[in-house]
Amino acid sequence: MKPSRSGSAAATAKGGELAGGFRLVPAAVLVRYLVAGTFVGFCLFPFYIILTTSLKAERDIFAWPPVWLFDPTFKNFYQALFVFGGQGAFAFIVNSVIITAFSTVLSVGLGSMAAYGLARFPFRGRKQLSFWILSTRFAPPIAFVVPVYLMALQLDLLDSRIALVLIYTSMNLSLVIWLLRGFFMEIPIEIEEAALVDGYTRLQIFRRVALPLVRPGIVTAAILSAVFSWNEFLFAVILTQTHAATLPVYLSGFSNAMGLAWGEYMAVGVIAVLPITLFTAMLQKHLVRGLTFGAIR
Amino acid sequence: MRDLDLVIEDGEFVCILGPSGCGKSSTLRMLAGLEPVTAGDILVDGTRINDVSARNRDMAMVFENYALYPHLDVYHNIAMPLVARRVRNDEIRDRVFRVCETLRLTEQINSRPRTLSGGQRQRVALGRALIRHPRIFLMDEPLGHLEAHLRAELRAEIRRLHEQRGTTTVYITHDQQEAGAVGDRIAVMNAGRLQQVGSLHDLLNWPVNRFVAQFIGEWPLNLLPVNLIAESGSMSIRVDDLAIPLTPMQTRRLTGAKLESPLELGVRPDDVEIVNVGSALSLRAHVAVVEPQGDTSVVVAETAVGRVNAVVPSTEAPITNSAVGLKFAIAQAHLFGPDGASLFTGLDNIK
Repeated sequence: MKPSRSGSAAATAKGGELAGGFRLVPAAVLVRYLVAGTFVGFCLFPFYIILTTSLKAERDIFAWPPVWLFDPTFKNFYQALFVFGGQGAFAFIVNSVIITAFSTVLSVGLGSMAAYGLARFPFRGRKQLSFWILSTRFAPPIAFVVPVYLMALQLDLLDSRIALVLIYTSMNLSLVIWLLRGFFMEIPIEIEEAALVDGYTRLQIFRRVALPLVRPGIVTAAILSAVFSWNEFLFAVILTQTHAATLPVYLSGFSNAMGLAWGEYMAVGVIAVLPITLFTAMLQKHLVRGLTFGAIR
Repeated sequence: MRDLDLVIEDGEFVCILGPSGCGKSSTLRMLAGLEPVTAGDILVDGTRINDVSARNRDMAMVFENYALYPHLDVYHNIAMPLVARRVRNDEIRDRVFRVCETLRLTEQINSRPRTLSGGQRQRVALGRALIRHPRIFLMDEPLGHLEAHLRAELRAEIRRLHEQRGTTTVYITHDQQEAGAVGDRIAVMNAGRLQQVGSLHDLLNWPVNRFVAQFIGEWPLNLLPVNLIAESGSMSIRVDDLAIPLTPMQTRRLTGAKLESPLELGVRPDDVEIVNVGSALSLRAHVAVVEPQGDTSVVVAETAVGRVNAVVPSTEAPITNSAVGLKFAIAQAHLFGPDGASLFTGLDNIK
């Protein structure tokens, strides 16, 4: 992003200002924006349809040609949240939030400690262990469906939130560990040595020195973990039916059993996107570079 | 790092001096507990501390590359060692402000390291050590990146603090003047080995080997191939066709040298005098270059046994391409055997 932005700024500056205050925009810049705009529009158009449909009354939804201007209504949202299918989406949103929150906190919490250990302590088999952790993600998840189902059955965890929290945590862990290991290794070792000489224990150094310095990594790991847990469908649909079902499971059942209640369907779609978007937007300001600048010469 | 045997007295200020890569920093890191000791013991007050972890050694260290906490401002960087020791907040405040005043950091007290200049960062690193009252101070080039006047000022400040508190200090530097100014004793290291320990004066006048003689001193040492000869009852050295008698003191200090074996004579450029060609006890030379440096000039002269540098008052500098005689102040000269060891024993051994 950055180079293209500064590049275009330089190009505009080169174009210069005419006497009348007009700005000459070079054709290359125009083309660049056109291409980018088309791509962004292409990606966002389905979402636009989801959002507008969720706000439309039934007659506007099925109107042909499509109506672009309409009186927005929140009836679909009310229906979807509290009424539809007897209990509405609300219980499933709660499930999704709980499962996503717990699995994200667990995988980032445990993962950061494991990553720190792998980055800092020279024990035997360190490389092999790191690779093994990564390799847990090599096989397609569907290969694990049957064993995982049997394990959940044996442990009496079918249709429980705990089962999904555990699975999502284990699946996210390898990603979190690999991501954060790199971040930890980039911290100049002298900073931690200084803390050691200053009288801090390893655990204190981890918490007070290392963790604050990998904040961008923690944020990235948290976002990726949360997005994965929030959207995961395969294990959710196999391990849960009603009690612990998440939003994707609810959404899938929606279109099949209830026919085509488009307005409510789209409303749930919007609701499904909203929390994770807010979460990401909130954390994004922490994705800054150069936290360790100035530490060493 | 090999065979380092160094006893540092309680309250002593020892400087470790040596070229880069000679093991100075490794020595300090071993003392601090940041690097494992593969052989030998480190004793503090008679207790072996090899297996004591760095955090329990009660030593404060200034890192060569600062190693500041980038996410903390100057105040909290300096306060960190006190926070670890659960010192009361108001006391931390007092002590941080006092250290910042000493180090001229009061204005930057709320700045993050990234916004500071190199000199300011170095002072923060120094402050983080000085705020403590440790058993031992370890300083790795703590003034290496400061401007000259600030360096001189802080050098005096470090020495003043040392005299006030009397904390044992090990101080690494590559600047021999700095070492002479702050240290009680200087330990010269090279290639992982301790060469000699002593005052700057001792190192200058009684170097144990060629390395120390070359490394210490304002001007690079001249080394000339010579032979030892016995002439009319006293010892002389032969340079080219010139025989220069040693002083009686040098003759007495001379140990382990065989007559006629190839040796090296070390003469500092400021101990070389330019005289007329053919003067008594002078070596014939041809002036290749004269570099005026203000009050003094460096004269580069070619002799039959190699190039010799001389530092003379500018008013007495010869002109380029002239033929001159070089007269060595032999009483200040050093004689090295084939292995580089000095053939003059220290004065202690004579008495």
